[in-house]
Order: sequence, then C-alpha cells, then structure tokens
Amino acid sequence: MAAPLTLLLVLAVTIRAALFRSSLAELIAERVEVVSPITAWKRVVEGLALLDLGVSPYSGDVFHETPLIIYLFHFVVDYAEITFMLADVITAVALYMAVKDYNKQVFRKQKFALEADRYPLDCLELIRSPKEMYYIPLKVAMFYLLNPFTILSCVAKSTCGLNNAVVALFIFSTIKGNTLLSAIFLCLATYQSIYPLTLCAPAMLYLMQRQYIPVNFRRASFWWFIAQYLFMYLGSLFVLICLSFFLLGSWDYMPSVYGFILSVPDLTPNIGLFWYFFAEMFEHFRLFFLCVFQINVFFYTIPLSVKLKEHPVFLIFMQLAVISIFKSYPTVGDIALYMAFLPVWSHLYRFLRNTFLVSCVLLACSTLFPVLWHLWIYAGSANSNFYYAITLLFNVAQILLVSDYFYAFLRREHHLTYGLYLKRKDGSEATLVLK
Amino acid sequence: MKTHVLFNLFATFLLADGLNIEDSAGQFFSSGHTNNWAVLVCTSRFWFNYRHVANTLSVYRSVKRLGIPDSHIVLMLADDMACNHRNPKPATVFSHKNMELNVYGDDVEVDYRGYEVTVENFLRVLTGRLPPSTPRSKRLLSDDRSNILIYLTGHGGNGFLKFQDSEEISNVELADAFEQMWQKRRYNELLFIIDTCQGASMYERFYSPNLMALASSQVGEDSLSHQPDLAIGVHLMDRYTFYLLEFLEDIHPASKANMNDLFKVCPKSQCVSTPGHRTDLFLRDPGSVLITDFFGSVRKVEITTEAIDLTDPIKEVEERPANGDIHKEMHSYVDQLPVSEIIHQKPKQKDWHPPDGFILGLWTLILLVFFQTYGVKHLRHIF
Repeated sequence: MAAPLTLLLVLAVTIRAALFRSSLAELIAERVEVVSPITAWKRVVEGLALLDLGVSPYSGDVFHETPLIIYLFHFVVDYAEITFMLADVITAVALYMAVKDYNKQVFRKQKFALEADRYPLDCLELIRSPKEMYYIPLKVAMFYLLNPFTILSCVAKSTCGLNNAVVALFIFSTIKGNTLLSAIFLCLATYQSIYPLTLCAPAMLYLMQRQYIPVNFRRASFWWFIAQYLFMYLGSLFVLICLSFFLLGSWDYMPSVYGFILSVPDLTPNIGLFWYFFAEMFEHFRLFFLCVFQINVFFYTIPLSVKLKEHPVFLIFMQLAVISIFKSYPTVGDIALYMAFLPVWSHLYRFLRNTFLVSCVLLACSTLFPVLWHLWIYAGSANSNFYYAITLLFNVAQILLVSDYFYAFLRREHHLTYGLYLKRKDGSEATLVLK
Repeated sequence: MKTHVLFNLFATFLLADGLNIEDSAGQFFSSGHTNNWAVLVCTSRFWFNYRHVANTLSVYRSVKRLGIPDSHIVLMLADDMACNHRNPKPATVFSHKNMELNVYGDDVEVDYRGYEVTVENFLRVLTGRLPPSTPRSKRLLSDDRSNILIYLTGHGGNGFLKFQDSEEISNVELADAFEQMWQKRRYNELLFIIDTCQGASMYERFYSPNLMALASSQVGEDSLSHQPDLAIGVHLMDRYTFYLLEFLEDIHPASKANMNDLFKVCPKSQCVSTPGHRTDLFLRDPGSVLITDFFGSVRKVEITTEAIDLTDPIKEVEERPANGDIHKEMHSYVDQLPVSEIIHQKPKQKDWHPPDGFILGLWTLILLVFFQTYGVKHLRHIF
C-alpha cells in the first residue's frame, strides 16, 4: 500500500504547489472562512516582525499564536509553504497508519466475537471483511489530502494545518497504544488551542481498552491508569507552559492566546456561531453567554463517553466534530480533519438517513459563503444576517452529519446485539418503534 | 522747483535706504506670514437656511475685496440659493433687506458645492489628505508661513456643528484636525470664526499653538438671525455676521485696525447672544494683530535697486513687547526628519533569537521522549 499512498502524496503536493505559485494564494489567504484571527499567516509574519523590532509580539491584538509557533517559524519562515505541505503530509500519513492499525483491531475483535458466537445469525451481512476494509486507510488519506477545505487551508498557510498534524499524531500514537506519546501530543494540541482537552476522555478509554483495564469506577486499576495518564498529560502541559515562558521571558502569551480563545474579543465573521451573537449582545450578558457557549463545547464529552465507552475511536471522531463546530474560531481546516474519518465508517452507509440533505446543504453553503460575503461587504446589498444564515445552515448540516453517523453507528451496534430483522416470539416480523 | 525738491527727496530716500536696506532685510524674515488663505464653509442646505449662505458669501466678498485671490480661497456652500427655484430674485443673494448688497456677483467661485460639502471633505481640505485627482482649486495648499482664516456657519449645538442635516463634526475632531495641520506645518497662524448656536463650544477643545477663535454665541445661547426680507421670504443674514460685515466694510487693505476691534463687533445689545473669543493659544498679543493679517492679503513690499547678500543667515528683527510683559516661549516644529542620524547610519538591529536555555530545554525533552519511545537499546547501535 505504500505505492498508492506515495502517489497520493505526490499528487497532493503538486496541487498545493501549483496553487501556491498561482495568484489565488493571496486571495485565499484573505478569506475569513479559511483563516481566523488565531490561525492567520499574516499575523504570524506580523508577530515575527514585531519581535525583530524588539517589541513583544503579544502587545496589541495582532498575534495570538503560542510561543512554540514563534520558535518554529523563526527558523522556517522562508520555507513556510514547504512547512505547511509537510504538515499536511504528516497528517495524512499519521491518519493512514492509525486507521490501518485500527482496522486490524476491529477485524480482530470481530473475529473473536464471531468465534464466541456473539452475533445473531441474521446479521452476518453486517460483518465486515478485510477485503472491503483494505482500501479504507488510503481513502482516509485521500479524503484528507484532496479535500478542497484542506487544500484551501494549506494554500492560505493557516496554522490550522499544524494543529491538525498534532491531532493526527495524537490519534496515531493513541491507536498504537503508546501512552506517553499520546499524552504528549494531546498536551501539544491542547497547548495550541484549548479544545482538544476533551479528547482526553476517548484517549484514556482507548488505552484502557488496549491494556485490558476494565472501565469500572470501583476498580483501583481504572483510577490508577487515569492518574498515570493525567500525570503525564498535566506534567507535559506544565513543562510546555514553563518552556514558553522562557522563550520570551514573560507571561504575555497567556492572556493573548488562551484569554483570546476563551473570551472571544475579536468578532470578525467566520464560519462559527460566536461572532454574530456576541456582536449584538449587550455587555451586561456577555459573560453569561460566553460561559454558555464555551461550556457547550466541553459539555458533550461525558455523556458521549458514557454512551460510547466501548468505541473510543468513534468517540474521537465525534469529539473532533463537536470541537470543529462549536469552537470559538473555527475554520474549514478543522472540518477537513474530522471529515477525513468518514471512510472509516463507510460500512454504516446503509443506516444513514440524511446523506442527500447533508451533502446538498454542505455543498450549497460552501459555495454561498463567498457569494454572500461579497454581497455584504463589497456590494452592500446584503447584511450580516445573510452571512450568518449561511453559517448557521452550514453548522446545522455538520451537526446533522455527525448525529446521523452517531445514529447509524448505534443502530448497527444494536443490530449486532439483537439481530437485523426483529422477530416476535412466534417468529412473525416485528418493528421497533421509538416512543 | 518742484522737481528739484522731488529729486532731493528721492535722493535722500535712496541714500537712507542704501544705509539700512540690509538691516531692514531682517524685517522680511521675522516670524510672520507670507501668504493668506481662507476656508469659508456654509454647512446648511434648504431654502430656509438662506442666511447661512449669505453669511458665507459676505465674508467671501470681504476677504476677496481685501486682497485674497480666488486661488487662495476654498469656498464651500452646501446649497445653491442664488439659483434656487424659490428665489424670487434669481442669481442674487442679498445680505440686507432693501436689497442693498448683492453678495453673489459675477465672480463668485464656489469650490465645494451642494453635497460635496461633507465633514470628510472639510477635514480633508484642512489636513490636505485629498486624493491625487483633486484639482488645485479644491485644495488648501498652505504652508508654514500661511495665515489661514476659517469661517464656519450653520446650525450647531454644544460641541458639534451640523453638516447637510445628516452628519456632524465635533469640536474634538476639529481640534485634532488643527493639530494635524500644525504637525504638518500647514499654517503659521489661524483665525477661526464660527457663527452658529452655542458656537463657543466649538473652540473649547483647541490645543494647537497659534490659534485664535471667535464665536457668535456662548454655550447655552442661540445665535439669532437678523431680519427677514418679506419679498424674499427668509431671514437674510445672522446678526453676528451682519455686524461683522458692517465692520469689515470699513476695513481697507492699508487699515491698521487690530483684533481687539474685532472682538468688540456685535456686543450683546446688538447680537442678543454674547460673542466669545479665545486667544490663549495665540502667540502674539491680539492688539498687535492686524485685521488684514487674516482677512486681507497684504504683502510687505519694499522696492530697492540694491542687491542684498542673503548667503549669511539674516537675523530676525525682534520687536520688543509693547507693555514689557514676559516673552512667551516660542513654539517650534518637531524635527520630523532626523537627517543627522540618517547620515551617520545606525547599525542594523540584530534579529531576535530564542534564548539558548529554551533551545536546550526543548531539544532535551524531545530527545528524552524519543528515546523513551524507541528504547534505549538503540543507543548501542549508534555508538
């Protein structure tokens, strides 16, 4: 499988290089859907320029990246394009290898379950075969690299690509079962933007599953593992924060990076839900709604973990989607990351109910974003409501997509336990009704 | 006999001149102005604001009569009263009933007309920040030896002046615009006259040097109009500008009337409102400032046939203050282009480098994690 992957990488790099050379690069770098105040390349250059002038890059509202990004780009700012292409390549390769390993485990678990006769007889058509799972890793890499969102994000040199790379490496190390690396990469991802904190739960669940630690509150081994993981995670976070302090010698970066992400002062329109609300909100209620919106991101972790404790990788997918939809400054690069996972759940296709609606809405909204932006800002014949309507619709479509997959996944699990065709005790067909 | 006397006088004159022409050359370089500009703005439109246009045109007339050419006047009228279809006497704008004075003659040059009179355009004219395509007639091409007269009239309130019934300029904006003009060396001295309700509020916030301001009413007072003309159907002028025009009609280019006389124009008995003025930012004593320094364009000309050597720096002729009070400190322009520093090039600033401790710490950690993951046993193969 190395050859198709290499071919795919070469193709992806070619497309990106071609777009970098064209005049579209500047156009794309200005689009608010692709860059946000946290990830914009213009701001990175501005921050480095301020540093060269002897001023802290965090003074003023320009630069909101972490000090490690300063350190990285201090040396590679001339080769920025190659860095971002490399980040995309790393993400794709990490996802490829992660999904390959995951598929192996899925198949192994399935084999054990079959041998233990745990599946009802009529749901054999739901069983997956290695043949159909053979091309999934390649499809995952393809979905990530050739996704127009990813290409736009890379050409705009948005640091979202680097965030995605770190998250992908985290997923890879988690699926491989390496606790230390998983904790370290998760810590890096959290350090970059706070939201990957919610990925702690699926990581811990997966690693416990892998090490055959039962997920039971009364077991000491459960708490001991959690303590270990959290110790590694919080320890590396502490080390990173102290290291960042030593880079510039001040704590300026804390309010500029984390304060900025949490308190959302910049209300530039983007594809998220925060800007419109906070633009029209009275100051009196701002703190309240800020808390509500931020808690919304973290809120789904515990219920989802309880429901999906047997399936932590699906939980990772759901968490990534929740983060991309509800974070304070989302961009299309975040969406590209969780969409890369869709081929892994391609066996759920028969249970999905909203594919047509979701795909139409996503496609329409993606094309309407620049149109309504132009109408609002340049032509002056629309206003922010138009753009926000499309933002809302886009997010609704994403939520529908994620909940659809959730439904399909749970339904498949249900069928695997209770059989595909329900029969009453006398053998006649029964239907399941949601009351 | 007469020619003889004349010749004697002429010779004496020349001789006397020849003795001190070099000394008096210093008089031409004393800190004064060399050119005059006027920016006259009427900010109201609609027929019932006829008097504001008449105000502005009256001041325009006086200023032009006293010598400032059209090329040095920026006239901004927000509406056209002379050719307004409600004007029973088309092509005229009268300033006094009985139609004594038509201030709209054949040679009125309006630079900004109608909807072009906006706050933005006004501020751009003052600060000079106009697009490159703006014609010269619409620019205030003043320099640091220009005396500028700025006259505003319209409807105003406490701290603002209304433009075109849709926007307003605040006293803070105006003060900042004048500060910009000072920093860009766009004026030597500036006289600001405003005839609106609560006009004194507009000069409250000035903070740049060499500004003198006059207003028709204090804060809390309204400026009243003069008299209506029943034939035309509107009030023709405002009181303050009416008496100002009366005062200016008596001024001629050689007049020695000074600012103290201008402050006395339109006392409360005539104006009903109390005119105000502000001179604390002005360097010279108002008694020594001639009306024609601002309203006219009087040049100092002395004819001589001698050649004057100007290679040595001419010393300024300092006038002793009349009443012996303390000489105010001279305001000077900031040295905007530090040529001396540029000539002696400073070394380029060193680029920022991350501290060594950071690099050491970071790479140690990375190596630690690497070996922890891949096992120490590989080290054996490296060494």
